[in-house]
This record gives sequence, structure tokens and C-alpha cells, in this order.
Amino acid sequence: MDVVVQADAVVKRWGGTTALAGATFTMGRGVTGLVGANGAGKTTLLGLVLGMHRPDAGRITVLGRDPWTGGADLRARLGYAPGHDALPPDVSAHEIVRHVAEVHGLPRRAATERASEALFEVGLGEERFRLVGTFSTGQRQRAKLAQAIAHDPRLVLLDEPTNGLDPVQREEMLGLVRRVGHELGIDVILSSHLLEEVERVCDAVVILDHGTTVASGGMASLRGAVPELIVELDEPPDGARTLVDALAAAGAASAAMDGGSTVVVALEGDVVHDLVRDALAATGLAVRSIQRATASLEDVYLRSSEAAPPRLPRP
Amino acid sequence: MTDARIIDRRYSHYDGPRLGPRHAMRSVYIQTLRRVLGLHRPARWKVLPILSAVMAYLPAVAFIGIVALLPRRVHALVPRPEAYYGFVSAAIALFVLFVAPEALCPDRRSRVLSLYLASPLTRTTYLVAKILAVATVLLLVTLGPPLLFLVGLVLESAGPHGVTGFGREVWRIGASGVVLAGVYAAASAAFASLTDRRAVASGASLLVLIGSGAVTAILHFALGAPEWVLLFGFNPLSGVSAPFELVQRIHGLPGFVPGLDTAALVAACAAATWAGLLVCWARYRSIQVTR
Repeated sequence: MDVVVQADAVVKRWGGTTALAGATFTMGRGVTGLVGANGAGKTTLLGLVLGMHRPDAGRITVLGRDPWTGGADLRARLGYAPGHDALPPDVSAHEIVRHVAEVHGLPRRAATERASEALFEVGLGEERFRLVGTFSTGQRQRAKLAQAIAHDPRLVLLDEPTNGLDPVQREEMLGLVRRVGHELGIDVILSSHLLEEVERVCDAVVILDHGTTVASGGMASLRGAVPELIVELDEPPDGARTLVDALAAAGAASAAMDGGSTVVVALEGDVVHDLVRDALAATGLAVRSIQRATASLEDVYLRSSEAAPPRLPRP
Repeated sequence: MTDARIIDRRYSHYDGPRLGPRHAMRSVYIQTLRRVLGLHRPARWKVLPILSAVMAYLPAVAFIGIVALLPRRVHALVPRPEAYYGFVSAAIALFVLFVAPEALCPDRRSRVLSLYLASPLTRTTYLVAKILAVATVLLLVTLGPPLLFLVGLVLESAGPHGVTGFGREVWRIGASGVVLAGVYAAASAAFASLTDRRAVASGASLLVLIGSGAVTAILHFALGAPEWVLLFGFNPLSGVSAPFELVQRIHGLPGFVPGLDTAALVAACAAATWAGLLVCWARYRSIQVTR
């Protein structure tokens, strides 16, 4: 895997507040989600990636270099769209995008051309000479994305890019992020507290909680790591209770869910499949489906951050 | 045969040259000049720069016109180049009050500063570009009009005699312009760095600069305080201010307060400039954009 960002026990304090308390993770190519509640340390981490701050302890590398000492060369290859409004309202979208591209090292002529390309790319081609102050929230978010990609960065950092967008605009923005990461070939770090959108767009995820990494890796591997079997019954509620009792007698941990029509069985060894089969045969319950549980990112997040009680009783 | 062509506006990768931080600073410098002077902006943004420029340059044009068109006996009305600053002090004051706030405050208010600091620019290089732009605009009124006036006088054979005299006068005007632009750019940038509201920054500049002149003048002239208190006066509208007093000395004149030591004036102006720059740097050093 090509490593884009690597953090090793990174600590960052702001006065008496510890924003990052030993975060360790590796981000590869593609779109990586940076997930965590407000105050988890996401924005501080973005600042470290951009080289705006120096870690108090630990080490972080971006594209193989220390962002604090990498300086101008490294930052010229990064794009950044902050979560807050960051464009002056009294200049045109084209002017500010061109200017940011120039500041990132592009000659004026190239910056002018690429500003148009980037604004067309995000769907603001026709509006590019309008003042940013006349834009809707969705258009401003698109303009922010345009300025982040206009200079053709290797890595772009997007902080809450769907903030303030309605469902349709959010869908369009996620489509743009997906396109930037997968079709334009620009690696993306998408910082968000909206798990559902990260799940839909990202190839990998880093979950922060109180400044530490509680989970990181490819989306498929994180979601697939749920050792549970879901048995959906076509029976009245007492059927689930019957099955749970039968499984308990056979030595398998399980619990009734969803009002009693579903039983979640802990997958502890290959024998559990046989125990479930035998219990169903013995009880004569009608089965609608049996499937391996797949976790949503929310499940992974809640378990990782220990915010949710375990669903299953442990034997 | 047609000259129609298809323009491909699709996003493409860039493999051209990437210029360094100097290019970034130049871009910020030019963008700031354009912003402050109202270039490529709606008409209302051009009013103040044009008004200030007219106030600064009109006397020079009028005096040159008098020398060129009216009889020699009227020429006594025309001041010497070194006295010209009295005619442009209002324009200088106007520029001092609005240039630095316009250059610095909107970047923090609209939070575009976070984009600059995520670029090859650092806080220091960003500030250098901004303050150089502020000083350049101030030079338009501290250097341009006296220089225009001198050239006009020379063309009408009413200026200093000989190449040496002209060169000496150009040097004096240049040094005076740089002193005034430097001191007031640093001072006004310091006020602008403390707030993200342009009106507040302009008000603070007005209050402190004019207030310092009034207080020191009262202390010295009304209450009999020693002359050195005048070193703390920086009101551009008053002749009795450290930078304008130094300009008088640069032109070889005794100034309004001959008892003040020239070296002390140089030290006062240098201290004011460095203090302004230090306040600005300290303020920007403490701004966190991604926390």
C-alpha cells in the first residue's frame, strides 16, 4: 500500500487540553474518512497534516515527509477545504480560486486556466464570475472544493464538506468527493462526523475518540469483522425466546433483537453453525433467513469508542 | 473553413512548473494592492482610493500649472518641494486609516487566512507580503506627489539647479517617502492585526495616532513638558509629529521643534515601526486556524 499519511503515537496539546493523545494510524491511497465526535481531534489532526502545528510528541509523515519541516514544497502539493466559510464574499469565485492556485505555485496563466477547469468540474462553470457572497451554501461548498483541487494537489483535505447542505446538495457533494478520489486520482482525507456519508464514499477510515485512534483500516475489513450470526424467524415473539433458550442449553451465547423476531448468535468457533441448525430443528421454528452479520460504520464506531453496551451477553 | 474550436474544460492534471514561496508572496502582494486600490471591484470600492489620490496629487498639478501658466510674480505662492508634505498630510492620514484595515482585516473575517496558511506561505511570509503592499500604497501618496511636483518644477526651470541639486532633492524626497510609509504602514498594520473589523481598526488608528499628537502637544506646549514628549506624537495631520519632524530634518530644515535631536527622531520612528511590526507578528503568531 502506498502510504499517504502515517501517524505514530502523535500527541498535541492546547494548553491544558489534550487534542491528540497518541494517535497511531496509516492512511493509504484513495478516499480515507476521518471520523470522530466533535472534539475528537479531527481538525487538529488536519492542522498537523498541513504542517501548521508541530506535534508535542510522536511522529507524523505526509507523502513520506515531516509536514512541519517539509514546508513550502509539501504544502504546495496539498489542498485544503476547511469546514467553515473560507472564501471572501466580495470577490468572484474564479478570482479567489485562481489566486489560491497561484499561491500554491502555479504561474498566473496556468492558474487562470485551471481555476476555470476546477470550477467547471464542481459544477460552477456558469457561475464562476459571480461574487462568492451571492452564492448559496451549496455553491460555496463547491467553490471551496474547487480552490482545494485547482492546483492539482496530490492530497486534498476536506473538513466537513457537506456542512449545511440539504439532502440533494449533500448527495451531489459526496458524488464530487468520490470523483475527486477515484477518477481524478487525488487522494482525499474526508473529515466528518456523519458516519453514513463516510461509509458511502470512503475506501478506508480512521476513527478518533478523545484524541486516540480507536479503529483504522479498510472499510471492508472493519465492517466484516463482526463475529455474529443473524437468525431471522418467521414466528411470533416467543419463538425467539425459545431459540435463545435452546442455544443457551447447547452452550451458544445469543440474544433476541428487534422485538423478538431476530436472534443474534455469537460466532465463537465453527461449531456454532451446527448448534444453530440443531436448535432450529429441535424447536421446529420457521426461519426467514440466516446470515453473517455485517456491521455498519456506526456499529464499528460505537463499539470502538465503547459508547454502546454489548449486544450479546458473554458466557 | 471555419475558425470554430472545441474548448476542453475538463479537469486535467498539471505537469508544469510549480513556483516557490516568493511567487506566492508576489501573488498576495498584487492581490492586496488590487483590493486596496479597488481594482476589478465594484465602483464603491474605488471612491476612497481615488479621493485620496486626488487630494494628494491635485496640489502638485495645481502648483505646476501656476508655474507653467501664470506670470513669474505669482510664483511666490508656490511652496518649495520640502513644504509639500503639509498639503498631502490629509491624504496620507486617509490612506493610513483605510489601507491596512482593508489589506488585513477581511482575510481574518472571511477566514481565508486558513487557506493562506495551508499553502506554501508561512505566517511571516504572508505578513511580509501584506505589509509591503500596505507600504507600497502609502508610498503612492508619500512619494509620488512630491516627486511629481519636483519633476514639474524642474521641467519649468523652477526647481533645484544642476544634476547634483536635483539628485539631492530626489534622495530627500525618496527618504522622506520611505520614512512616512514605513512608520505609518507598520503602525496601522498593528492596529489592523488586533481586530477583524475594518471600521474598528480605522477607528483605533484614528484615535491613537491623532490622540498621541494631541496629548503630546498639550503636554509640551500647554503644560510645559520637555520637548522629548513630542517624540511620542504620530498624528499625520499635525506638523508636530515625530515622522514629519524627521522629514523636515531630512530636507535640511530645523523643523517645528529645533531642540529635538535628529538621532532621537530617527530612534522614535524606528521604534514605532518595529513596535508595529512586532505587535502584528505576535498577533498572527497566536492565531490558530485549525484547532
